[in-house]
This record gives sequence, C-alpha cells and structure tokens, in this order.
Amino acid sequence: MRGWNAIWAVLRWVFFAGLILVSTGIFAVTLLVLHTASNLPKLPQDLSRIIETPQSRVYNASGQVVMHLGERESVPLARVSPDFINAIVATEDHLFFQHHGINKLRTLKALYVTLFEPGRVEGASTITQQLAKNLFFSFEQSFSRKFKELLVSFQIEATHSKAEILEVYINQIHFGAGAQGVEKAADTFFGKSARELTLSEAALLAGLPKSPSAYNPFYHMDRALKRRQVVLQRMKDTGYISEDETVLAASDIPELNREKRDARSGSYFLDALIKSLIDAYGENVVYRGGIRVYATLESRLQELAKTSLRQGLERLDQEMGVSDENAPRPQGALVAIEPATGAVRAMVGGRDYFESEFNRATNARRQAGSGFKPFVYYTAFDTQDLHPGSRMTDRPVRIPVPGAPDWQPKNFERGFQGDMVLKTAMTRSVNTIAAQLVQLTGPGAVIDTARKCGITSPLQDVFSIALGTAGVTPLEMAAAFSVFADLGNRHDPFLFWRVEDAYGRVLFEHIVQARPVLDPGTAYQVVDMMKAVVDTGSGRRVREHGFTQPCAGKTGTSNNFMDAWFTGFTPALCTSVWIGYDRQARLADKNGVGITGGRGAAPIWAQFMRQATADEPERNFPVPEEIRFESIDPETGCRIDARTSRPKITVAVKKGQTLCGETVR
Amino acid sequence: MKWYDPAGCRERLKRAVCFVNITVLILSAVLIFSEFRFDWGERLVGGFLASINHVRPEKGAVWELGRDTMTAHETVSRLIDRKSDTKAFADRTDSFAGIARRLLPGEWVTLDKTHFKDLYRTLPLTHARQILDPARLIWLLNGDVTDRIFCEGMKTGMKIYFIDTGNRVIHQIELTQDTLTAITEKHYLEPGTLETFDEFSGRIYPVDRFFGAVFKLPAEMIPDLLPDTDLLLDQEGIISRVGIWNEAENGFIRLGFEFRHQNQVRVLFVNAREWAVWQLGLVLKGAHS
Repeated sequence: MRGWNAIWAVLRWVFFAGLILVSTGIFAVTLLVLHTASNLPKLPQDLSRIIETPQSRVYNASGQVVMHLGERESVPLARVSPDFINAIVATEDHLFFQHHGINKLRTLKALYVTLFEPGRVEGASTITQQLAKNLFFSFEQSFSRKFKELLVSFQIEATHSKAEILEVYINQIHFGAGAQGVEKAADTFFGKSARELTLSEAALLAGLPKSPSAYNPFYHMDRALKRRQVVLQRMKDTGYISEDETVLAASDIPELNREKRDARSGSYFLDALIKSLIDAYGENVVYRGGIRVYATLESRLQELAKTSLRQGLERLDQEMGVSDENAPRPQGALVAIEPATGAVRAMVGGRDYFESEFNRATNARRQAGSGFKPFVYYTAFDTQDLHPGSRMTDRPVRIPVPGAPDWQPKNFERGFQGDMVLKTAMTRSVNTIAAQLVQLTGPGAVIDTARKCGITSPLQDVFSIALGTAGVTPLEMAAAFSVFADLGNRHDPFLFWRVEDAYGRVLFEHIVQARPVLDPGTAYQVVDMMKAVVDTGSGRRVREHGFTQPCAGKTGTSNNFMDAWFTGFTPALCTSVWIGYDRQARLADKNGVGITGGRGAAPIWAQFMRQATADEPERNFPVPEEIRFESIDPETGCRIDARTSRPKITVAVKKGQTLCGETVR
Repeated sequence: MKWYDPAGCRERLKRAVCFVNITVLILSAVLIFSEFRFDWGERLVGGFLASINHVRPEKGAVWELGRDTMTAHETVSRLIDRKSDTKAFADRTDSFAGIARRLLPGEWVTLDKTHFKDLYRTLPLTHARQILDPARLIWLLNGDVTDRIFCEGMKTGMKIYFIDTGNRVIHQIELTQDTLTAITEKHYLEPGTLETFDEFSGRIYPVDRFFGAVFKLPAEMIPDLLPDTDLLLDQEGIISRVGIWNEAENGFIRLGFEFRHQNQVRVLFVNAREWAVWQLGLVLKGAHS
C-alpha cells in the first residue's frame, strides 16, 4: 500500500510539474515573441520587388555588353525549368509545400543533435527560413538569430503564397562565379535561360548553393558532379524522377559555357576596370548606380592575349619539364596598349584567373632587366653628346659606389667584345656599355626619363638601375614603351572611355591628350635601335615566330633568370609580356639553362601581335624631319659607302650630330 | 496515511481518470496534434507579426541594399545635376572668368562653338590674341577640326580643350587665375602716370613723337603694334604720352598709353608684337638722334 502511495505521489508530481512547465513554456515563448516582434525587420509589401536592383553595365570597344555589375535578374516561376524547381525543393526542403515555415520534426531532431551530441551541428532550415536569413539577417550563428529568422519566416508564410516564396528564393540564391539567381546562373554556366535547363543541368545547379566555391564547376567539375548525384538521388527518393531518369541524368556531363568566362568578373581586365571605377565613384555607385561604362577592352584582343599567354606558358612548362599539376608553375602577364591614345586594349594578369586572381599585369613589380635600357640610351643621347653611331668600348667596368663595394657589371655572355657603336651595344644588350652610360648621365637622369615615360614604381637612385634592377609592372612597361612608339608623346593608360548614367547622360569622358615628354628625334633614334633588337638582336625570335610587320622592342632578363620580359610595339599597338614565378625562383629548362626574355616572353609577344595585327595594314614608324640615315662601320662608327661589301649598319642620326668628326647635314 | 489519500486501487484509478485530468490530457493532445496538422501556432505568430509589420524597423540586408541603391542613385543624380547646372551656367555666363570660378578642379563642361566665339569676342583683342591667336581660332572653329570644346577646372584657373571626333585634344589653352583676374578687373587700365611704372623708365615718348614713328613703319606692321584699336578708341580723354615696357613676354611687349581725362590720369596697357616694337624702337631712336 505504501509503495502505491509513493508511485501515486510521483505521478501526481510529474503531472502537475509538466503542466506548470508547459504552461510556463508557452507563456515564456509568448512573452519572447512579443518582446522580439517589435524589433524584427519590417517585411516589404512585395517580396519579389526587393531583389530588383538596376544593373551597371560594362561595354567593350565594339559596344557589346561584357559584364553586368550588381545584377539581380528576376524571372517568374513559369519561366524556370520544372526540373530545377523540383531539384531545389528536393535538395533544400522536400516538405516545403507541406509546412508553414518550419519543419518541426527536423527542427526537434536538429535541436537534440545540437544540444546532446557535442561537436555536431545539424541544420534544419526550410526554404522560407533560408529566404528570411538571406533577406534580413547576417550569417552569425546564434540561437537568437535563428529564433528571429524563424519568426520572420512565419510572417513570410502568413503573407505570401508558396509560389511567391519559391520564386523569390530561386531568384536571390548565390550559385558562385558571380551568378545570383537562377536565370543568371543558367546563363553563366550553360549559356542558356533558366527555362531551357535540362534535368542534368538543373540538378547540377541545384547542388551549387550549398557551397558555391567548393562546387564551382568551372574549377571543380568532379566535385560538382558528385554533388549533382546527391541531388538526383534526393529527387528520386522524393518521387520527382524515376530510376531511369536518375541514371540517364547522372550519365550526362553538361557542357559549360567557357566562352563566356570573361563576361563575368573573372577577368583581370574587368577586375582592374572595376577597381578604377570604384576609385572614381565608390563601390555603391558602381554596383548599384545603374551606370554604363564604355571600356577600352577589345574582346578579340583579350581572347588572343589569354590564348597566347596560356599556350606560351604551356610550351614553357614542357621546356622546363614541369608536368606535375601541383608543382609551382611559372606565371605570366600581358598588357596591350594603343600608343596613340593610351587605351588598354587587352590585359591578362596570370595564367588562369580561376587559379589565381592576383593581377600581375598591374600589381607584380618585377625587375625589368635589360628592358630598362631604352631609358638609359635615351637619357644618354639627350644629355650627352652621344647618338646611335657613337663608339664605346665593351670592357670590364668598375664603378665606385660610396659606402659600398665597387659595382662591376658583367655581360650576359660573360666576355667582352671591344669597340662598337651604341646601336650595336643596344642590339646585343651589352651591360658594360649601359653601365658606362649611366655613369655618364647619373642614375637620377635615367630615373627622370623613366618617370617622364610614366614609370611610377619606386626607383632607387643607384647605378644598377641601368640594368633594370628596379621592380616595375607590365602595365607600366607597356605604357612607358608607348611613349617611344608615339615618338615622345605620353598618353597615360586608361581603361574606360566614358561613363554614363542609366539614361545616357555623360558622367565622365576620357580626353586623349598627348603630352610631349621626350624629344621626337631622340625617341626615334631609340626606336630605330629597338627595331634592330627585333630584326637582328636579342629579340629576333619575334621574327622567327613569324611576325613580319615593322616593330621595335627590347628583351629583359633579370638576375639569375628570375624574370623574362619582352616589351615591343608597332606604331599601332604596344605590348609587354612578363613571365616568372610568383615566388622568386629561377626560370630554367630541363637542362638547367636559364630562360631569357628572348626565349620565354618574345614568342608569346610574337604570337599575340601576329594575330592581333593580322588585319591591319603594315605601317612604318614616322621619321622625324631632322633624322638622317647613315651607313657606318659598326666598330669605328665612321661613315662608309652603303654599297661596300664591308660589314656596315645603318644608324639614325640627327642633323648636326657628328660621325667620326663629320657633321651630318 | 492522510485522511485525503485514496483508500485503494479503485479509488486511485477513479481519481486518475477524473474529468479534469482527462480534459487536460485531451486538450493537450488536441493542441499538439492540431499544431502538427494545421500549423496554427505558426499561423498565429505569422498573423500577429503581419499585423504589426508597419511599425517595425526597416533593417536587415535587403533594406540596407535598398538604401544603398537609393544612395547610389542620388549620388549619380547629384553628379548629373551638378553637370547640368554647370552647363546651364556656362551657357548663360558672359565671360571665361565666370566659368572658371564655377568649375571645381577636375570638373568639366562643354561649350558650344558659337558661345565660345562670343566669349572670345568679349575679351580685349590684346588679351584675346595672347590667349588664342585669331587665325588659329578660325582654323579651330571654322576648319572642321573641332568637334567639341571642353573646359576643365584647375586649382589655378581652367583649361580649354578643343577636341576632335576621336576625343583627341587638337589644341588646348590654359587660362590661369592671374590672366582671368587681369581681364576681369581690367588690369590693363591702371591709375597714375607712366612714371608710376619703373619698367617704362627711359622709354617714355610724347604722343606725337610716338605716332610719328609709328607712321614711318610699313603700313602692314601697324596692326601688330596696335592690335586693339577699339580698346584705345573706347577710352575717354586724350593720350598725352606712350611708354614701352622694358621686358618681352611670350613674344609681346607692353605699351602704356597715358590718358588724361578731366583731372584724372591713367595708363592703358596694350600688348604689341615684340618684333614690331623692336622696329618702332629703331625708328624712335633714329628720330631721337
């Protein structure tokens, strides 16, 4: 009897305690709802309208849209493939059409796991909750945020139909690669509209929102396909598709829209453009101002630049014996500028944007090596009584440096070739003569010339600047050589011609303004020497690779083959190519032979320029009035008869300059 | 055993399944099952929240995005409005100095060719020539080379660009604040006699002698010596003496004409071509000797 009494007492206690607990719980939740409600974000009247923001557009030089910024293109459910709708519902929330904002059983299970299984967190967010989170809340993980999100999802469910919720949801989720919303994602990945998605494509897309970067099919197709398998399985389990359809879809490898990779932000040129726009107008205007930007980009040249650089680097991989994909591979950059305006026509800042977004064209300051010599020669001609026909001696040079050991530059070939005229010295890229020239002019004067041409990177006032020990970017090199190409006129490089608002009213317009910074005659003399570099000197690979148009350029190889450069130009286009490792390492082939600018960068330059200028008429550099061409002995620098069979070279000299004491008229 | 404890099992069962307990249990079960079946809890809370929606704050990502979009549009509109205002102002204004005052550094406005011509004509010819040679102006405006004229503000004045259809600058003029001030404040007219300016020292000539020398020069040279006859003819009073400045500037030498009117004496400055003044000097020296 006493035992029964005890049991009875316990039961009674449990019953009433439970009753009080439940009542208190309900009361507490009610209070919490009331307390939280007033501070919850207000819901807009029309959920679908809030995802519409005006897009800023970027047009290329031909007037085609190459990128939308801040775009959120909304499509009605009726214009979305049913396969995609089924796939997203099956994957994200298969009871979406049954619940009212919360999947109670899944939530209870998730709560239990989170509370009682330390280290494990299980999510139970419904599509409505995800929508509430995306629209109103941060990604902070807390019970408070989760509770608010839950309350907002109840309101969304109470005031909107399931179709409306689903429509807003699929139009605002991120799929990666800059695609927000299903319409943009379908276009980005498959080049089609959301309505045209097949089951296989729809399942692949539906798997992406879980981790857009990890499953990005442009990078990781294998992972994306595995994830798609999960989606297809869930679609089968929930009865949306049959076994046969699952197998059929799983066997299909969707074709990605690789041609349009540059139509997204995934391009070095567009990244640089966005940065300069943000610098000018601020991020808000750029992404949400609905502006129209007319870029200098020429899509054809950009594509050629990308292909030339990629193929050139792949050839280099083979020469260097780099076969392991995981081993560090050399990187590269290419910038093409129109010398007559400064318009940047193409810019590639690395081997593959999707491997590394670091834009080496604008940000990598690398030693230019002999690529810096045109500035040295110009300075010498401008400040000393020297010209391309002046004679100097290739000999051991020792230049005293205050407070440091003497500087003793060596030639690339290590030997010395004796007397030669300066044109030959430039053609053969003789270091000792460049060193003697900088000793005459002083490094400060060379820096002045480089600055006049638009080099903005820090340059140290040291003699070794003659051999390009200062770090410069490919964009700077292309811009600076453009000054020579335009015979002394400087045009600062720019990325967009015009910016308009959504109604076509002009906000900004670029004015092409030539600033004469170099003497045209002297600039031509340097150009003439650089022509010889391409025709017979260190850059002759350009000719060997089939580029026949009149052009000038200079190779550059930094100490220990860390960097290989070729910067050259025709009168219409100036292009700089750099290759090297991101982390300073030697560029060498399988036999350990170092790779020079002539061997590594010049072929890439030639391939790009050959195709880029294929449809253009051949143009020679205009010759300033004061220039005379004289045949001289390459060793003595004295005039010789042009018809003689003796070795001779032609140099460009200005009226009044002397050749072996003879004044040129 | 207390007096209220149940006497036996039967009594216990009777009490356990009493009306109140059964009701509480059924109500609880109904509540739970109906919630799972009809989601009334969610609906209730959702309905309540919808009823107070209008008083809740506009916060969260989507509202911030909306505000950002609004701000972006306002910024763009402000920039456009400012440009439109500046353009309207430039079209209304009657002097280069007015435009320069309005333009902030880096800000620009386009001018119609006709308006530019009008503004140019308001300048005293001597200043106008210094800014832009009339022959070049004719080539720029009537020679089908200029597509548009851009004025860009600078810290020290403004620049005027003549642009072709390819947006290339074919000619540019820089109007510094000093030049503009000189024009606006009529610095070409100073009170006092020629002796007030040391630069005329030793080169002051009576008007008859000056014009006597002028008329000895070839006729085609005189317009280069006296380019702005309107400015001289417009002055009240009579010219008593003329001075020649002792320095050349940009190919011009200033001539000072001393005007006397009632009891006032003032000097009017005119820029004459350096080489013409040099020829005049020779004649004056010859006449003097």
